[in-house]
Amino acid sequence: MPDPGGGDLPLTAAGEPITEAEAHRRLRSEDPSLQYYAAWWLGKMRSQHPDTVPLLMEALQHRQPREVGVGVERNAVARNAARALGKVGDGRAVPELLAALADEDDGLREAAARALGELGAEAAVATLCARLASGLEGAGASRPDSPKLQEPCEALIEALGDIGVVREEVVATIQPFIHHERPLIRSAAARALLQLTGDESFGEHLLQLLDHPQLQVRRAALMDLGAVGWRVALDSIRRTHAENSLKLIALRGLVERGHGEPSTETLLEAMDALL
Amino acid sequence: MPSSDHFVALIAAVEQADSAGALFEATRALASALAVQGKEPMGPPPPEGALTCLVSILGFNNPGAAVAAVDGLIASGPAAVLPLLEGLDGQNYGARAWAVRALAGIGDVRGLELLEAALGDDIGPSVRRAAAIGLGTLDVAHLTAQERRTVQERALGALECGAQDGEWVVRYAVATAMEKITPRLQDLEDGHRRAVATLHRLADASEEEAPVVCLRARLALSRLVSP
Repeated sequence: MPDPGGGDLPLTAAGEPITEAEAHRRLRSEDPSLQYYAAWWLGKMRSQHPDTVPLLMEALQHRQPREVGVGVERNAVARNAARALGKVGDGRAVPELLAALADEDDGLREAAARALGELGAEAAVATLCARLASGLEGAGASRPDSPKLQEPCEALIEALGDIGVVREEVVATIQPFIHHERPLIRSAAARALLQLTGDESFGEHLLQLLDHPQLQVRRAALMDLGAVGWRVALDSIRRTHAENSLKLIALRGLVERGHGEPSTETLLEAMDALL
Repeated sequence: MPSSDHFVALIAAVEQADSAGALFEATRALASALAVQGKEPMGPPPPEGALTCLVSILGFNNPGAAVAAVDGLIASGPAAVLPLLEGLDGQNYGARAWAVRALAGIGDVRGLELLEAALGDDIGPSVRRAAAIGLGTLDVAHLTAQERRTVQERALGALECGAQDGEWVVRYAVATAMEKITPRLQDLEDGHRRAVATLHRLADASEEEAPVVCLRARLALSRLVSP
């Protein structure tokens, strides 16, 4: 599930208005906390200035092993740079993001996977599949020392769905995750498989998750249905217990990405009723 | 129709609720009793104690109960406006946000000032979008032509500014509100033209980045041309 909000907003500088030139100046500085905010800001603004992509790529290259507990560390800058490169939407960033998929920092791998998905980077499909190939027992296994999985499976799977290369081995790689013990991973797999195959039985998986007792799971299923734009889901989206804000985001996805019945006008009327 | 004793018992249940779940259930029971009574055209006005009770729930930081309370307040109509305005705690952001939603749903002109301020300044997009709808649906039928002009001028002006909001969902709500307000602007010279001009800007994909906003604005324009 992509973060519906602003991502990792630094607490000290939330929403502080700066100019594009100031963002570039901060990214060139040596101060990681200034770089961190600047990278986020350039992504948020989808900056199209010619200096933006080279500066973000440089920030992404300057990664190093994570140091927990030293304030804003270098890799946090690299992660924000990866996210921003996805939003800026320039294909030149693909090779550097692919390299980041091999980084030992799984937070960076996650950010890189999401960015490659946003860029629709077909060149990333083989690498994304390779990271998932070990399946439920490998990539999808829980870590003994943290609540995370071995790989950022949700991001890797969603990227494959967003990129949309329909090949047998891609579908076969994602398929096992529809049975993952964690509902958020099942949601991501159902979303990607529905995007790739159009098989509506995967849509039914998402509808079931809208009835899940945990709000967090229902929210994820809403975002995933919006990402696919599967219009059949309208009534289930209306009925599920979740914030109207998230239902509106999901219905926007049905309007913009979906087709067929119910009609666009019906969907817009459903949105009006949630305002 | 619920009796006044019945309301006393329902209010007591809210006051005695000792868990989030119990508060939600008690609020929902009180709100639906008000909704039943509100549907009776000749019925007695909603008991004030019930309304102030619902207003106080808006400040409890219990979203489920607050949603139910807002529904009950909206069902009570204009009778809920004074309890809402008087019970407003300026320091409690959550309570104010819920009050804006209730006032937006009621559509009473006494809420105009609060709705204007909310659409212009509130930090929460969900509050701004509710305020936009409220500004588009204010009930002005009982006002004099002069009063109607003043209210519609302020509501239209606030919506014109809201059309430039940074959040797509607020601009979407403005498009919807413009559709609702436009047929009622006959007292305002130039009002119709201004509303349609705003909708044209929202419908223009070279100016509006969210396709869903363009689609909503185009739907509004098509309905205004041939309702």
